[in-house]
Amino acid sequence: MNNLILAWRNLWRNRRRTMITSASVLFAVFFALLFRSLQLGSYDHMFRNAIESYTGYIQVQHKDFWDEKIVDNTFAYDSQKEQQLLSDENVIAAIPRFESFALASNGPQTKGVLVMGVVPEKEVHLSKVTDKMVKYRLTSESIEMIKQDPNISEKIKELAPLFENTAYTTASRLQLDLGISDKDASKYMPALERFAQFENGSIRMGEPGVWVGDKLSQYLQLGIGDTIVLISQGYHATTAAGKYEIKGIVKLPLPDLDNKIVYLPLDVCQGLYNAEDMLTSLALAVEDNDDKVIAETVERLGAVVSEDQKVMEWREMNEVMVSQMDADDKSGMIMIGILYLVIAFGVFGTVLMLTAERKREFGVLVAIGMQKKKLASIMTLEMLLIGLLGILAGAAVATVLILYGVEHPLIFKGEMAKMFEEYGMEPKMVFWGIDSYYIWQIVIVALMVFLAIGYPIRKIFGMKVVNALRA
Amino acid sequence: MNAMKTRKIIVSLILLGPALMIFAQDLTPKEIIRKADEKFNGEKTSTSIMAMTIVRPTWERTIEFKNWTSGREYSLTLINSPAKDKGQSFLKRQQEMWSWNPTISRLIKLPPSMMSQGWMGSDYTNDDILKESSVVNDYDHQIVGEEEYDGRLCYKIKMVAKEDAAVIWGHQVRWIDKKDFLFLKSELYDEDAYLVRTELGSKIKTMDGRLIPTMIELIPAEEENQKTIIEIKEIRFNQEIKDSFFSQQNMKRIR
Repeated sequence: MNNLILAWRNLWRNRRRTMITSASVLFAVFFALLFRSLQLGSYDHMFRNAIESYTGYIQVQHKDFWDEKIVDNTFAYDSQKEQQLLSDENVIAAIPRFESFALASNGPQTKGVLVMGVVPEKEVHLSKVTDKMVKYRLTSESIEMIKQDPNISEKIKELAPLFENTAYTTASRLQLDLGISDKDASKYMPALERFAQFENGSIRMGEPGVWVGDKLSQYLQLGIGDTIVLISQGYHATTAAGKYEIKGIVKLPLPDLDNKIVYLPLDVCQGLYNAEDMLTSLALAVEDNDDKVIAETVERLGAVVSEDQKVMEWREMNEVMVSQMDADDKSGMIMIGILYLVIAFGVFGTVLMLTAERKREFGVLVAIGMQKKKLASIMTLEMLLIGLLGILAGAAVATVLILYGVEHPLIFKGEMAKMFEEYGMEPKMVFWGIDSYYIWQIVIVALMVFLAIGYPIRKIFGMKVVNALRA
Repeated sequence: MNAMKTRKIIVSLILLGPALMIFAQDLTPKEIIRKADEKFNGEKTSTSIMAMTIVRPTWERTIEFKNWTSGREYSLTLINSPAKDKGQSFLKRQQEMWSWNPTISRLIKLPPSMMSQGWMGSDYTNDDILKESSVVNDYDHQIVGEEEYDGRLCYKIKMVAKEDAAVIWGHQVRWIDKKDFLFLKSELYDEDAYLVRTELGSKIKTMDGRLIPTMIELIPAEEENQKTIIEIKEIRFNQEIKDSFFSQQNMKRIR
């Protein structure tokens, strides 16, 4: 106990030194935590986007569909089977889909697209495609209207043309791009929302009509009310061709998908491919999406589905993304490793200085009869206290930031946003809440402090008192 | 003198006659192929109604279509059934091919990338239709034997593609009925001499005054349980069809 008191007093005898040493630990913990939180959060967000706007966590498919995605590898919809699937404790909803590829064209523009036959009402459980409808768009007319409105500030008038033809699914994103603070929102937003208003229609079962991705609509130069022509090969090599009116435009968070998606009502899509009542997949919305629970659910469902079907998990369906993330995760770890190395040397450097500075003091203490062992243990306690202080302070600062970040993800705008989109990512960085990675970062930093302690201890035991006194 | 001359002629006729007949029987392989080819395709034009059945391991499907051809250069095909495909037409003019789809009112020129794809999902590729080269002029022919096929005595002729010919096969072996000049069996090999497909002719009937095989089976060598069967329901030869009949306008109009 005496040792602890002594160590504590020693710490505050030279405040600046203590502060500097613990600050280096603080930064180590702070950066490691923040970095990891952002990385984990962004992965999770990306997966969620991919899963929720496309595959879902679990899908039932024809056994050959995944390897050969042709419309012949489909299965007939069976309501009895659906009931059996739904009776599983973890399954909330079964969402029937028919997806295939087609050539889409408008005049001379042609592009390969992903055609997705959906039941719009059922997608509420999974892809929530109705929430992703474009609500605002800064068309050249709306920008003109903004410019002519005397109540709108010059800054907005300057910014607006930069975002010409950008589509928005929420008013808040529009507000962000136009650099309007929350304070001014009530003043400008109602007018801006009116100018940029974008009217969508809905698609319904039995009515020919499509929703297309925002990017695709721009590529094909199609707007609401225009006609898109789809041509493909249908069930059993029939010809699949149709003309559909564009009822609405969606903006999906995955630019890759936004570039090629065409939504059709399920029955219309089945008609197009001459595959009445056939499905390519039954996506399942789940209650609990924990990896282990999903694996168990997949196993349970495997026994339910018929022989020519198989149950697939999101990992299998997003293989490319999973391996991409794995690679990125590893490079992230290397980055953190380098960060640790730099910081470890920083901590070690301060300890080195500290030991050199106090050489005479150590010498005097031993000369007047203090045991080297006792001195070493006080020194160790001092270092541990410094480490603890740094870790606690670092974790505290990081926690505050991370907790704030979880609620307020980093959203990029303008050029930066475009850069993200070019890489096929949503211009958004999300923090990951407090989790087991905290412990790991703290343990590693603590380990660094322990290693650094070794140096002064060795110095103390190897000290020649006479030399030390002269220092 | 006169009598002498007459007798000489008669003698030489008696002597030479059988020789001439033997000569007539002993056609060159090229002649045999030409005869069989013309018999089937008509010397000038043909108009036909055919049914094509696509057989796959798990399903099969039949398409009926009407077909007009003029020489090797021009052909027009109109799908009559199933209802969903009805009204689609295909036009071949020399080396180009178009497809018209009435549901989307689009005329599409088939791009080179689609050439190796099956026509209407069959084993018959677009390339087969387009580069349906002259079996007479693009190959060197050689009789390699005589064999009986399906109870008929046939010439077995090996046809090797000429160096500069734009053909998709390296060589072909054809079995041609000796009496009626019918293609009864063909084996088509690629340039590496691998068998790609076998074509079999059967159901020999008289159509528009000609004896022809009315059913042709196309069996790809690599795919199991997969074939395409073409059945000729009606065919007329050498009716007057103008070249202007094979036009893009007519593709959209024709019924």
